Amino acid sequence: MPDARTQPDDDPLWYKDAVFYEVHVRAFYDSNADGIGDFRGLTQKLDYLEELGVDTIWLLPFYPSPLRDDGYDVADYTDVHPNYGTLEDLKVFLEEAHRRRMRVVTELVVNHTSDQHPWFQEARKSRDNPKRNWYVWSDTDDRYREARIIFTDTELSNWAWDPISKQYYWHRFFSHQPDLNFDNPEVVEEVWKIMKYWRELGVDGFRVDAVPYLVEREGTNCENLPETHQIIKFLRRRLDEAFGSNFLLAEANQWPADVRAYFGDGDEFHMAFHFPLMPRMFMAVRLEDRKPIIDILRRTPDIPPTCQWGIFLRNHDELTLEMVSDEERDYMYDEYALDRAARLNLGIRRRLAPLVDNDRRRIELMNSLLLSLPGSPIIYYGDEIGMGDNIYLGDRNGVRTPMQWNGGWNAGFSQADPERLYLPLIANPVYGYQRINVESQLRSAHSLLAWMKRIIRVRKSTRVFGRGSIEFLHPANHRALAYVREYQGETVLVVNNLSSSAHPVELDLRRWRGMVPIEMFGGNLFPRIGEAPYPITLGPYQYYWFRLRRL
Amino acid sequence: MAEDTFLTDDFVRQLTAVGGVDIVVGLPTFNNRATVGRVLNAIQVGLAKYFPRERSVLINPDGGSTDGTPELVRTTTVEHYETLLAASPLRTFQRVSTVYPIGHGSGLAWRTILAAADLLGAKACISLSPDLESITPEWVDALVRPIYKEKFDFVAPIYRRHKFDGLLIKNVLWPLIRATYGSDIREPTATEVGLSGRLASHLAAQDVWRQTDTSQEGLRLWMTTLALVGNYRVCQAFLGPKTLGRNTARHDIVATVRQAVGELLRCLEAHEAFWMNRSGSQPTPVFGFQYGVAVEPVRINRARLLQTFRTGAAELASVLQSILTPTTLQQIQQVAALDDREFRFPDDLWVKTIYEFAASYHHSVINRDHLLQALVPLYQGRVASFVLQHYRAGAEEVEQHLEALSRRFEELKAYLVEGWTAKK
Repeated sequence: MPDARTQPDDDPLWYKDAVFYEVHVRAFYDSNADGIGDFRGLTQKLDYLEELGVDTIWLLPFYPSPLRDDGYDVADYTDVHPNYGTLEDLKVFLEEAHRRRMRVVTELVVNHTSDQHPWFQEARKSRDNPKRNWYVWSDTDDRYREARIIFTDTELSNWAWDPISKQYYWHRFFSHQPDLNFDNPEVVEEVWKIMKYWRELGVDGFRVDAVPYLVEREGTNCENLPETHQIIKFLRRRLDEAFGSNFLLAEANQWPADVRAYFGDGDEFHMAFHFPLMPRMFMAVRLEDRKPIIDILRRTPDIPPTCQWGIFLRNHDELTLEMVSDEERDYMYDEYALDRAARLNLGIRRRLAPLVDNDRRRIELMNSLLLSLPGSPIIYYGDEIGMGDNIYLGDRNGVRTPMQWNGGWNAGFSQADPERLYLPLIANPVYGYQRINVESQLRSAHSLLAWMKRIIRVRKSTRVFGRGSIEFLHPANHRALAYVREYQGETVLVVNNLSSSAHPVELDLRRWRGMVPIEMFGGNLFPRIGEAPYPITLGPYQYYWFRLRRL
Repeated sequence: MAEDTFLTDDFVRQLTAVGGVDIVVGLPTFNNRATVGRVLNAIQVGLAKYFPRERSVLINPDGGSTDGTPELVRTTTVEHYETLLAASPLRTFQRVSTVYPIGHGSGLAWRTILAAADLLGAKACISLSPDLESITPEWVDALVRPIYKEKFDFVAPIYRRHKFDGLLIKNVLWPLIRATYGSDIREPTATEVGLSGRLASHLAAQDVWRQTDTSQEGLRLWMTTLALVGNYRVCQAFLGPKTLGRNTARHDIVATVRQAVGELLRCLEAHEAFWMNRSGSQPTPVFGFQYGVAVEPVRINRARLLQTFRTGAAELASVLQSILTPTTLQQIQQVAALDDREFRFPDDLWVKTIYEFAASYHHSVINRDHLLQALVPLYQGRVASFVLQHYRAGAEEVEQHLEALSRRFEELKAYLVEGWTAKK
């Protein structure tokens, strides 16, 4: 039963201030000692997330699935995979999350299904099966030739031959993931029913997977087509009519100008990932130059006032390098993935801490950027304690290993025999669970976890980060990335040193002359801003957040 | 004390903001608005194309331009790298501008560039002329790469020149340096050079900067010779044709001879211990594909040269008497008496003339400036002869002659040593 804390607040723009936490049910906590995390386990750890300061939990796919793509190959859209518990367990989890004023966003993976989904099994039976037209079929593999192949490491074509019905079927991802045919109104209607089902169950919103690829048209690259936008608008309208406040998050790994269309006039997605920003944050820190970040944010168009960018450092996939130039990709590979085993498709399969050589200063700086640049931050589970990875586990499994709760049996994740764990624990001397775990970090006021709680708290002390404008300052020292965020009379100045060495920086703050900077972590006053350039000395990878106040 | 503060506070503040860099590009300017934009574009594209990951900065010492050159240097930006077959640069292209007071000579500009390279810990420092018409992004690569990738310390350019272009270099500076320092440097006075950080720091620390009257040619020659004697690794890079803007001031031949030859003779004095016992020469490594290209013809007024030579040989006879041996002077006068069609200033006579001038300079037989001025008409006679001899010759034939001339400089070096060490 909801208590005094009751439900999340009813601000329809809640996602603009939210701190998201991305987690896979199977990776978080195993309550029944079968080696796989489950909803009951996740529910038990909600206090941890609440304490961390998380507002919104984004769950990776938990639906029945053959798990050939970690659940992104859905075989039943309205149930829970038995590995993770039952529908009842999920309902309890939702209630407990809401009781803590947290929201839950789930995956809507409808560009494609698993080839084991009953719809596809039906469709492939014969060419005149009623479900046949739910997928995209062809007698040849020559259609839609301009569409690129996304999983370049494993797929040679976007068409796969179905030996049963003797036609090719269309798939933008793995060949065991046939694309649904969104030109068929029955498919769209079925998707609406799925959304309605979960919303009625208590899910607060959806992260919609692979949005740009819903529709195919000859002579195009089959991405971002107008017909796709019509479908999104249709689903959004029905959601709004049925439920009022909703939340749709677009996964569209595209340039900002192309993603902009997915906000429509505020009538499509509420939020979309800003994919190109992510690699550029890493690039800027390695180059020790603010240029990549400023360049991409300059190229980012304005979005409707009700919309928001979702920004992140790492997620369950590889650090995607699709939205960079060839030169930038080469640079990122050379600097962040010299070991070729770390490279996958067009990206790097590593977690945050290993990417920055486990350098606490850089981890903090990256999070300072994440939590202060425009958008809602999304934290990937385990990154708040600096978890490592295992690039030799195949595919992207290396960044999906069990959460490290303590230094004991199975890192406190499960009571199962270690051999039963869904993936082996990280156990090396640098990132292993004996060293990197929640329990040990809870004992230290200066641990990364403690620091993460603090910075999230500071971020949430004002709405300026989630809703404010941004104005970049242009100090001569290009290693300094400085910007001013403003919202409804509140002003925050952020200064980041992207360099590994100490640097002086002089800021032109004349527009805010007379105001007093107050450092937001310690609350200390800095000298009043005057006419002269405002000098700040920045240590290696140091960041400052100042609230500017007229005192 | 002024020596300690030759960098202005503003310049130091700008350097502070730049921090450490890998590559410094020096671009001294003075009223180059018409051409500097093209040079800046070439620099930016060159850096983006060939050194996209390196931290680089442009240092622009300006001699007090009144045509808006520094503003143009600060603002010229390449808009579409793709159309120039380059990727957008990963890093910020940084620029630092400073104005040095008129009258301080070009030494301050060079010193500023070298000091910046030293202070910023640059691995490579290159210099480019602001009035280049023929520059391409590949010049940046040609000057930086041998230092950055091949660990050379000094990169001198090789230009594709017209057979009658650069005749002072071809007839005096190149062969004389080759015979004395033992290194084959085709362009010892070029603005377009590349220096390693190590050499830039060494040059910045020299005492020569106190002299305010040192010319551009003089400074560049001095840097070249210092690289040769300092055990630095020296190479050359082929840049192609060098064409300057139409408005570029052409140097007066008298001033050029005085400055360039004077500086080389000063260097020979300073580096006497280095070259005196050295014999022969070593080829200097050359980087770059030496493509053929038609170059703009250089027009030379032979009649005026001959007239100046003959007048000089006659009117300066008493001065030349104190510089040259009687035999050499007599042979020069015989040459002066030749008919235009038969006029030739023979190689051996030219080599001996240069060597006797060098020895006399060393012994200060007369005021050194007067001595250098006396060389000018003789040089003009040599140029007239060279032009007459090669009027119809192809580039290869001219090259063969220049190679032979250089070898004669080497073979007759004992003549220089003898004159240089003789007691006067």
